[in-house]
Amino acid sequence: MQNKYYAGCDIGSTTGKAVILNSDGVKGMAVCASEIDPEKTAIKVLEMACKKIDDINDPKDISYIVGTGYGRREVPFANENISEITCHAMGAFTCQPDTRTIIDIGGQDVKAISVGDNGEVIDFSMNDKCAAGTGRFFEMMAHIFRMDLTQFSELSLEAKKIIPVTSQCSVFAETEVITLLAKRKKAAEIAAGIQASVAKRCFTLLKKTGITPLITITGGCSKNRGLIKALEKKLRVSIYSLELDPQLMGAYGAAIIAKKNKETTI
Amino acid sequence: MGLLSSFTDEIVYYKTYVKNYKNIIQMPIRHGPIQTYNNLKKYPWLWQLAKVNRLLDIVTRGRSGNYRKASAAVVEKIVPSLMSLLDNININTDRLVLHEDMVPPEIISAMGLTTWMSELLGILLPMVDSHSVEKYIDIAENAGIPSDVCSLPKTTMGIILNSEVPPVNAILSSNSPCDGGMASYQLIKNKLKIPMFQLDVPYNFYNDNAVEYFTNELKKMISWLEEHTPGKMDWDRLREICEERNRMTEYELELWEIIRRRPAPIAAEAVFLSHLWCFNITPGDPSGTALFKYLVELANENVKKEIAAIPNEKYRAVLWNPPFLHFIDLFSWAEQQYGLSVIIDSMSYNRQPFIDTKSEDSMLKGLAHNIMTGPMARHTRGPAENYFNDMFYMYTYFDLDMILIAGHIGCKNTAALNGILREKCRKKGIPLLIIDYDLSDPRVVTHDGIIQQFDRFMENIMKERRL
Repeated sequence: MQNKYYAGCDIGSTTGKAVILNSDGVKGMAVCASEIDPEKTAIKVLEMACKKIDDINDPKDISYIVGTGYGRREVPFANENISEITCHAMGAFTCQPDTRTIIDIGGQDVKAISVGDNGEVIDFSMNDKCAAGTGRFFEMMAHIFRMDLTQFSELSLEAKKIIPVTSQCSVFAETEVITLLAKRKKAAEIAAGIQASVAKRCFTLLKKTGITPLITITGGCSKNRGLIKALEKKLRVSIYSLELDPQLMGAYGAAIIAKKNKETTI
Repeated sequence: MGLLSSFTDEIVYYKTYVKNYKNIIQMPIRHGPIQTYNNLKKYPWLWQLAKVNRLLDIVTRGRSGNYRKASAAVVEKIVPSLMSLLDNININTDRLVLHEDMVPPEIISAMGLTTWMSELLGILLPMVDSHSVEKYIDIAENAGIPSDVCSLPKTTMGIILNSEVPPVNAILSSNSPCDGGMASYQLIKNKLKIPMFQLDVPYNFYNDNAVEYFTNELKKMISWLEEHTPGKMDWDRLREICEERNRMTEYELELWEIIRRRPAPIAAEAVFLSHLWCFNITPGDPSGTALFKYLVELANENVKKEIAAIPNEKYRAVLWNPPFLHFIDLFSWAEQQYGLSVIIDSMSYNRQPFIDTKSEDSMLKGLAHNIMTGPMARHTRGPAENYFNDMFYMYTYFDLDMILIAGHIGCKNTAALNGILREKCRKKGIPLLIIDYDLSDPRVVTHDGIIQQFDRFMENIMKERRL
């Protein structure tokens, strides 16, 4: 094998992500649902990514692996593990060097990250205590509407007006939404209210770290088009859409760091 | 050499340990078995305070040489002075006055009265045992005190509601430092049914009128105490106390000059816990002056021998807000894990430390000024510039690398300020860590949760891994 490969493996609460790259760029990537055991998730997703590259058969063939995400300490074969905050910043910055603010909405937490001129983290704030506004919250909401996540994320785009969902807590929000549906309010308008309430929470987090353009969104919820629209409305700026799948940004950043760290040790 | 120094370190620990236990054991001997039994029954927190030597374990952990000696000396000062305060719950109880931490204890002592700072238990108990005040917080909340009120006054209220307060005869409070604290004294007054005097600390204190006004408030307090207690003002005694306090201040300022250098010869509890106790609980006590003199000697000796408090000092921080009461282990942990020294804290920092003792009026003016411009009034009541100016001044003066905020969720005043602080620090490029936690209740954010916040900050912002 002439070309060295580097990998980032992001073990989140809902999904595992892996990105493998070499000096020519990204060569393989994969996403899988998280297992109960983070180590199993890591093995599974790394193997899935390896299968997409002819040169390598096994994660052991990768020169340097960086683990990230909540399960980062459980990534087998990892040479080191780095916080997902740093990895998301590096990933988004590498994709778009003008990135100065990132909103990362994962399965179980939300982070606002302020990025410096060299892709370093200047400040961050996070909500990891409350489910409201996280991927899990959207799953719950989609379930009430008897939709999958993709359908739900599109639903609010049809809304002509917004029905406010005022509850801060996921559990109470669920009750509120069920009540609104029972009152035969329009589903799209309720969905718009849900997206707006999450956007408001993100805005509060972003205010802590500062809202400096260019703003990007990463994490699984970056695929929620309704949320992006609500966020843009709340922030009054457009959110830049990253070329690489934003859900993979943590793993991508980890792979970039893996490459840098390996090269500096040589 | 290594063996000898670790042997000396062990000696320092055990010498202080034995000395402290002797002091603790003498208390029941002084009061006799029946009184001791009654006290323990009436004041269950005495059981916790009997474990005060745990503080010694916390402050000496991982520290060696003069830094260990300095940290141990602070606990060696606290224990006998605490025992003597506890004696007051049995002797001359008609002279026992319950006072808030914003009321100058110098005046109470000069009047021949004994002090019981009502916040003392709320401060000391969680330091000794992390979970020890949860019971009192629950009692206060079950009695209808809102859960978002600061847990320090909630602890005080819980102790009062559970009838575990010593037999005090008068209450002195003020309108500072916060609404929660102020409101708690109405409950205390209603529950104890004894007279209360409330000092009115002026809001805008940068003028002579404010000093004059607050000096008059102190005069009214003295008259009120003379009317409601057996205490009589002894101005000569007040002068002695203030002069002793000034001597202690001189040593403290000298200590601050020494710790400005990098690496610091001593840090953390030797700097902030010494101040917290000697200036707020027992000002005017010659043993406090002796402690600060000793701390200066130890620091100077370390400087001379080029010995740092922590051998691998990489970062220096100021701690803003009261220290993590239920987790003061955090500082020795941060020293060992990240080479991070807490050099100074906001509670120790007072810009007008000396009291002019030439006349009765000048002493009262000095004390008035001290309270008004002291940390809890100056920083929490506004204007916001007080908070930021002091912090950034200290950041430069002590050559620091970061600002560490003990972000007590019960403190609404500082929560509002911290939002502005974030923006200011960002503009100045100063790393800022605001640790969300509750001052007295580890159930809100656990020790692991605090460490997790610390780790995240160190890894992502400071690019530092645990040593």
